[in-house]
Amino acid sequence: MTVTTRKRKPAEEGGANFDQELDDLPQELRWRKWMGRIEAVLFTSASPVSRETLARVVGQGASVEMLVDDIQAAGDLGDQSLAFTEMEMGALCAIAYHQPIDRAGLADIFGKEVSRDLLARLRCKGLIASGPRLPRPGAPHTFVTTEAFLVTFDLQSLRDLPELELREEPTS
Amino acid sequence: MSDNANLLDIHEMFKARRFRHHFVDESAVTGYSCGMTYARPRLPDDLTTIPRIPSWVTSGRPETPEDVAFRSGAALMVLDQLVSDPRHGVPVRLLANRLALNAATATSKLEGRLAREADIRDAYHLTPPGEARGPDGDLLAFWRDTVRLRLNGPGEIANLIGPDLAGDVAGWLDAGLERARAHGPLAGCVAILRAVFDADDRAERIACLLSDVLLARALNWKQVFPVSAQRLTKSVLRDLAGKGQGAELAVQVRILESIEEAIQSARDFARRAEALRSIAPKLRAKGSDAAVDVFLTEDAVAPASMLSPVVSGTLISMTDRAARRFCDRLVELRVARELTGRPTFRLYGIAP
Repeated sequence: MTVTTRKRKPAEEGGANFDQELDDLPQELRWRKWMGRIEAVLFTSASPVSRETLARVVGQGASVEMLVDDIQAAGDLGDQSLAFTEMEMGALCAIAYHQPIDRAGLADIFGKEVSRDLLARLRCKGLIASGPRLPRPGAPHTFVTTEAFLVTFDLQSLRDLPELELREEPTS
Repeated sequence: MSDNANLLDIHEMFKARRFRHHFVDESAVTGYSCGMTYARPRLPDDLTTIPRIPSWVTSGRPETPEDVAFRSGAALMVLDQLVSDPRHGVPVRLLANRLALNAATATSKLEGRLAREADIRDAYHLTPPGEARGPDGDLLAFWRDTVRLRLNGPGEIANLIGPDLAGDVAGWLDAGLERARAHGPLAGCVAILRAVFDADDRAERIACLLSDVLLARALNWKQVFPVSAQRLTKSVLRDLAGKGQGAELAVQVRILESIEEAIQSARDFARRAEALRSIAPKLRAKGSDAAVDVFLTEDAVAPASMLSPVVSGTLISMTDRAARRFCDRLVELRVARELTGRPTFRLYGIAP
């Protein structure tokens, strides 16, 4: 955030006291810092930002294209592995192994209710979908994993899920 | 002596009591059913007219390749007559759908998911239209698509088994048919199972599907009747991958047993279908003819979705209540059974 506030001024005032080159930092850290700056500019700007503008927050010789590529690569990685809370990950695992399973079934596994919001987030990410109804009063709908779930976790099929000892015991 | 006599007396008394008990029970049942329903529909008992495997063929266990060849020849001929000649009254689509459920249960075991038949059936039937069926329901859908395959369209098979293996299908089928011509259909089935497992040792459902397709082609059937998967086990398939000579025979025996069971089912379904057809004129509910047709094609009928608001496959409307009453009526007339034992979300079928 400090980067954001600092960069606004230099952009307007022509970079009076703004250290573009970051010579005092080691190479790798400098590159990270530049990525952070570009991301911050893109994040705070309401309209598309030109390459020239972006070039003004990083060192002279740095390639804006490569920096943007790296930001995108890091972003993809973040979507895959980092964007889950522990509870989301737990719920997703429980659904993957025990599908079709409803909220009551998940509550049995975790010993507490799994919030609708959390399940809605997983559904928004396209990782789970509504499955068959359970033949119980109220016909609660179950959750099942989707094709996108397999793709995200790089699985050919559900059989690629790591073996669990519990798997052999009859569930339900 | 007198002790013995006493004992005897007591014994007699118990027997008498048990008998009386029995008698009361029975009269209660008959009284009840007499009041409630018509006489039980007679299942046609002239079973001699429906083709069967003579007992001298099925006596003993098949142990040598010659045994299997001989027995599978007899069995396949009988099954061919049952499914190809409409005079025998076998409800062919019902049989195929039931075999699809068997195959789904069997392949679930082979794939290590171990879903039970009832769970698979529920997953398929209780998924609202447009929603995901989940792995179990998808597996049944796969097998139900299989029995609807039109065998002259190679594109349809490719759609079912996915792009990874689709390119090899034609070659596998040709090689399998070649082997079937020389060594009999079951040898062809084993050959194609082997070929698929060589390419992908986790493609159980596809291997079994192609084996069934091959059998249908070899026998010139218009549709697939899934019999390959039903009695296969992981260990038998593991041995097959090991290329043992005995393993091939073991797989053939398993498929043969499954074919013999399919014959049994077909004969059974023919009798039950006949019973349903015979009481059909008594059913006066609107749309009952169409509903009877549903029962003659589907192994499990969900009144709330398959008979109502319209009878499936037709435009004939039926209310939810009428659909439930219709199913209850069939149960009352003893031509159908409730399959789940649940008070709600019931499924009915004419076959056990």
